[in-house]
Amino acid sequence: MAKQLAFRTVHEPQAGAKWQSLFELHWSAYERWFLSEGERERPGYLAGFNALRRHMPELLPTYERLCALAGGGDLSSRMLSLYRPPAYITGCSQAVLANGNSNVLVRNYDYPPELCEGTILSSCWNGRQVIAMTDCLWGVLDGMNDSGLAVSLAFGGRTVVGDGFGAPIILRYILEFCDTTPEAAEVLARVPTHMAYNITVNDAQGRYVTAMIAPDRKATIKRVPVATNHQKKIEWYAHALASETLIRERQLSILVDDDATTEERLVSAFFAPPLYRTDHRRGLGTVYTSVYRPLQGRVQFHWPEHEVDLSFTHFPETNFTIHYGPRHHGAG
Amino acid sequence: MTTKLTSISDVRRFFHNNKEPVYFISATNFNLLGIGDWVGNFRHINYINCFDDKQKNVFVPKEKFPRDFESIEDINNYLLEHKEVIDYIRSRGEQGVAAFLMFDEHTEEICEQLGLRVAFPPAKLRSRMDNKIETVRIGNKVGVPSVPNVLAKVDSYQHLLEISKELGTHDLVIQSAFGDSGHTTFFVSNEDEYYRYAEEIEAEEEVKIMKRINCRGSAIEACATRCGTVVGPLMTELVGFKTLTPYKGGWCGNEMFAGAFTQEVRDKAQEYTNKFGEALREEGYRGYFELDFLIDMDTNEVYLGELNPRVTGASSLTNVAAFAHSDVPLFLFHLLEFSGQDFDIDIQAVNDRWAHPDSIDSWSQLVIKHTDESVDLLTQAPESGVWRMAADGSIAYDHYDSHPHAAESEQEAFFMRISGVGDFRYEGADLGILITRGRLMDDDFQLNERAKAWIDGIRGQFAGQSVQDPVVEQVAVNHAVGGGNFKIL
Repeated sequence: MAKQLAFRTVHEPQAGAKWQSLFELHWSAYERWFLSEGERERPGYLAGFNALRRHMPELLPTYERLCALAGGGDLSSRMLSLYRPPAYITGCSQAVLANGNSNVLVRNYDYPPELCEGTILSSCWNGRQVIAMTDCLWGVLDGMNDSGLAVSLAFGGRTVVGDGFGAPIILRYILEFCDTTPEAAEVLARVPTHMAYNITVNDAQGRYVTAMIAPDRKATIKRVPVATNHQKKIEWYAHALASETLIRERQLSILVDDDATTEERLVSAFFAPPLYRTDHRRGLGTVYTSVYRPLQGRVQFHWPEHEVDLSFTHFPETNFTIHYGPRHHGAG
Repeated sequence: MTTKLTSISDVRRFFHNNKEPVYFISATNFNLLGIGDWVGNFRHINYINCFDDKQKNVFVPKEKFPRDFESIEDINNYLLEHKEVIDYIRSRGEQGVAAFLMFDEHTEEICEQLGLRVAFPPAKLRSRMDNKIETVRIGNKVGVPSVPNVLAKVDSYQHLLEISKELGTHDLVIQSAFGDSGHTTFFVSNEDEYYRYAEEIEAEEEVKIMKRINCRGSAIEACATRCGTVVGPLMTELVGFKTLTPYKGGWCGNEMFAGAFTQEVRDKAQEYTNKFGEALREEGYRGYFELDFLIDMDTNEVYLGELNPRVTGASSLTNVAAFAHSDVPLFLFHLLEFSGQDFDIDIQAVNDRWAHPDSIDSWSQLVIKHTDESVDLLTQAPESGVWRMAADGSIAYDHYDSHPHAAESEQEAFFMRISGVGDFRYEGADLGILITRGRLMDDDFQLNERAKAWIDGIRGQFAGQSVQDPVVEQVAVNHAVGGGNFKIL
């Protein structure tokens, strides 16, 4: 069965009518998701507000503005706090190539396309321009800011769920309030996550880390340029097997360790197996490839037959549909 | 700082001019109906919309989900953490006074954050006072006797007989430290009856084992203040009527009238309540409380039943009668005690006035629950307001009002609807509360004809649709069996 996803690029410096219409477009799906384990399982509004205030206080004015745009209701505000949301898993591969010649963060996002928003949002909410692939309406799957900080997340391959935030909101916080990789690392060490994630960060000076964050143990933050879907040793074999996390990690490691690897070579590796995955039926296919060049403030989104090139100075608003399936139909 | 209040008219003026928001946060506004007439800036924040948005001082968040609440505290915490409630409180000045039926330490934390002052002693103290076993000990200390009892842990039926030997009977009533309205009172007169409840009884650290007596339940409300304890009238209790409640021994209403008990019994109850109020103050507790007294019908002895250190289901009557209106409702003494305002009121004089038979006009209330085992979805429910009964016993809606006083005669009754259209009707669900002038029981403490006609009339106003979808029915049954099945009043 062929699947498709409509992508759009949205430029709105201050959240307003455009964000509001995105909220309205996606809310019924998010509401279903948020209530999937029963309303009672989700923390109350005050608990989410307090968690944000405690761990990411600078984000509160933005949060409150978005809550108001979402209608000011209780449930939407609770969902938007992304505090202890329902559990979810993703695939993903990501790698940084940062040396004398290169400074790039590349990633494949592997997920069911029907559960992806497809919104690339350019904003300037806190005096800092941010371009990001959004998730949960204002969270970030991958993105960068005008200080040259780029981030990307991959599911950590562990089933543990605990007290903390959905990772996309932590990435948003980093892009809104951090300039450098050390600053981002401090946030990743401090802010609790509700599931296991591998977050790769890269900045304009080519400093990079991958943080393995989880609700049940202290974050491990190391100068590692690649991440797929496991943390240290494999814990969830079925997922590791289905997502081929070890094979992908090995290929990425070989590539970034090889002095002969250029940005072009790395990026093109993301377009072919095992990194590029076509298992859309099981929700493990690649939805898009993004390439962040923090120094130039430029990001490219790639599909087999389509490409979008965006920057802080060039961000046209477009809509296009990507078809996924055994054969690639390209952009329609 | 205003000057010390020394008279009842000072107290009235003080509350009429009140500017600081006062919130009563509860499932419904039943317990403190009408208090808004006395206290400026008084608001109810409720989960159930009993008045269909007709009542200006009732705020109910619109975005709600059917939940299996575990307790009244759980409802209150849910309300206080709800965005609409927080926005509402903030829109009114982000400060104020919060009153509850029940609250816990989490409630206290939320209130602190929201800038609300809790007008009650700390939850921890209240919870200690609420312990039925603790109540016996406090009473013993100040000479307020309980029904002959033993406090002990029970391991088996044999063990029960051994430790209760001194009571001289096998006809026993066993109560756990906490629990309400017939859920945790066990009547045990033989081994079979014991085994029905053995698991619950043996799970307790300590239970109260009483000799079963032929008694009438009664309730009295009071307020411990720095100037003394203000005592309301002794009310009868309606208990365990099958047409009202599925719970054996479950509370289902009250009657208040001057001659409810003999003068001797009433005097005794007042004296005991005064003593108990002083004992509570010594424990550090102050403010509103209610005592259940068990009146032995054979000997006229007055025994302490239990203490509810809070506003209760009987408060709706205590605060509407003539004495409350001639001075101020009892709850205002509570608010005054927690207001930070200095006062010196002659409480003895208030008590003397309130105890006078002329002060006690007659009021009754019925709490009507669904008593069938059936589960259905309500498609029709009677509106809150004043209902009128015709000569043939049929009833019809007369007009909207939010105050029981609006029912002017015994042909009228104020009805407060709890379960509404779209709610599940299941065994034990509260359908509504009826408050009327006059009595609803006869001298033998049986429901009178008028009461039966009102119960039938109100039940007849509800209609339900049987639940077709087995999944939906399962959800409803779980709701009934699970957390939803507690006393919300």
